[in-house]
Amino acid sequence: MATASNVTPAGPSRESYRDRVVTALVVFSIIWSLLGMAAGVHIAAELVWPNLDFGQEWLSFGRLRSLHTNAVIFGFGVSALMGTAFYSVQRTCHVPLFAPGLAWFCCFAWQIGVLGGGISLLAGWTGGKEYAELEWPFDIAIAVVWVCFAIVFFGTIARRRIKPIYVSNWFYGALIIVIAMLHIVNSLAIPVSISKSYSLFAGAQDAIVQWWYGHNAVGFLLTGGFLGMLYYFLPKHAGRPIWSYRLSIIAFWAFTYSYIWAGPHHLHYSAIPEWVQGLGMVMSLILLAPSWATMVNGIMTVAGAWRKLRVDPALKFIVLSLAFYGLATFEGPMMSIKSVNVVSHFTDWTVGHVHSGALGWNAMITFGTFYFLVPRLMGTALYSVRLANVHFWLALAGTMLYVLAMWGAGVSQGLLWLSLDEIGELSFSFKDIMASMAPYYALRLVAGIVFLAGAALLAYNLFMTIRGRRTVPAFPPAPDAASQP
Amino acid sequence: MPSILTIIRRPTEAFEALARSETDPLAVFFKQIVWLALAPPVFAFIGASAFGWRLGAAQPLYLSGDVLTQISIAYFFALLFGLVSTAFVGRWMAPTYGASDALGTHLALVGVVATPLVAGSVLHLFPHVFVNLLVLIPALIWSIYLLYKGLPIALGTGPERGMLMASSLVAYLLVGAVTLLGLTVALWASGIGPSIGV
Repeated sequence: MATASNVTPAGPSRESYRDRVVTALVVFSIIWSLLGMAAGVHIAAELVWPNLDFGQEWLSFGRLRSLHTNAVIFGFGVSALMGTAFYSVQRTCHVPLFAPGLAWFCCFAWQIGVLGGGISLLAGWTGGKEYAELEWPFDIAIAVVWVCFAIVFFGTIARRRIKPIYVSNWFYGALIIVIAMLHIVNSLAIPVSISKSYSLFAGAQDAIVQWWYGHNAVGFLLTGGFLGMLYYFLPKHAGRPIWSYRLSIIAFWAFTYSYIWAGPHHLHYSAIPEWVQGLGMVMSLILLAPSWATMVNGIMTVAGAWRKLRVDPALKFIVLSLAFYGLATFEGPMMSIKSVNVVSHFTDWTVGHVHSGALGWNAMITFGTFYFLVPRLMGTALYSVRLANVHFWLALAGTMLYVLAMWGAGVSQGLLWLSLDEIGELSFSFKDIMASMAPYYALRLVAGIVFLAGAALLAYNLFMTIRGRRTVPAFPPAPDAASQP
Repeated sequence: MPSILTIIRRPTEAFEALARSETDPLAVFFKQIVWLALAPPVFAFIGASAFGWRLGAAQPLYLSGDVLTQISIAYFFALLFGLVSTAFVGRWMAPTYGASDALGTHLALVGVVATPLVAGSVLHLFPHVFVNLLVLIPALIWSIYLLYKGLPIALGTGPERGMLMASSLVAYLLVGAVTLLGLTVALWASGIGPSIGV
């Protein structure tokens, strides 16, 4: 794996890595994590006490829910991915970022887009597609920023001074290309006003396109993108190479090929063709193999680096994120099996599944990466290792509590939705079942507060680490003749 | 084997005793593991027969004696498989983390870690899902604490490698738990268990 000196200029090129934009993206990501998770906690509370919307439309569950998902996925998640991609692509290519001005444009335009998009969601603008709620003006803006992101990233790779393209860049590259494709196709729409458009697709086709987008947004953004983060930062944390580089490449291609077909499992027992549902299920099951190959690769890499655990609290987050990655990537294929899906679909089990991935995998690996990255960017030690350790236990407790509460709620709902009485009528009404869920939702609220408290500790810890400091310049190492392209 | 009181009051001592003892796997299996796997299904059978499962909505769910027996037996074997397989998986992982590979010690460790959950399962006697969850979640936290605390001591590895191995076992157990959920609902969908409109 490529290495870089931290502060010493080497060779004739004295141009430093462009890390200030990375710091800015990390800071924005942390701010979005707090806002997005706070919105999540509020809507969790609304499910226990519905009056918490205070009769305001913009505080209603329907609007705040999409604000929550957009803020955590696109604000927290994408800002973290953009920042870590910019950081790692420079170090794995031994060159500063291509078009640094464009990188700054990506950074600020993205934040403005997420902020504006969030406000538009509160105002009631929505395309009505899950994870693609933003209306057409924002869709166009996202596409433009994304293309700029691609130019910076692939431009840097094109200028690289190392012949092999390290595996993390394959994952970040797939994230950029596939998300562009999914976003543009799924957002094709006919605008009727500034705040409203209608999808170019209709009926079952619209549903298939939406879940081709929706599932692969999970796949290539929340899985593939974060695997790019894992493959760069885990070996850096561990101070040793990936356990099996060959396995990582095989897993990449298997992952890329099989994920793209799995979307129809969101549409089991619907109006789409039976064979499409079957295909979605089979490809989802196949997906387990590359997912677990990556998990094994990560666990074996970290197993040889146990001495680091004494001094590096960040590594704990990565270890645990691998455990939840293993859970989520097993649970997903299992829930795609039609005989399981018939009970689990339209229940809170799905919500629990999403959060075992979102909290346990995405957030944990991002937290671990930030605890590693920020002190290095600032050229100092982490403000408090103790606070990071407290955060670790809060994050673990919050995630476990969330998942267990939703498992309990989901399985109960699945059984109750489908219960029949002696004459074959449904035994329970929707309203009665939902009314009985309040205790589970209260438990989920506690879980959310615990997890958010941990994120607040991270924000304070990193704020104190950054306060009064500037990003220290780092330089590419001296050219190595053996690795020239 | 350490008693429940020792596990509660002096867990470190209990795990140190476990590390020192040479434990015969068959003895641990018959004296400890079988009983740990048996208690929850027995509690669940009695509770569901007497009170019915309370899922929160309206009437409790009563199952016929035959179905209850089938489910309880399946529950027993699932728990037995879970406990024994965790010990085998732990032994398989042991060389990676520099831990003892004595199967008896692994089985005994799994038994100790499972004890709070089994004790919490006494709530199956009153099978209200949420009430059970309220008790089993703290029990689970206690079990996870015992796993992280006890594994390095009982298996003779350092705290750092013990933490890594415990996390790997947590991943295995999470997958095991969700498999149990998936199998359960798949059985419902195929007509075994409560009558649902599928």
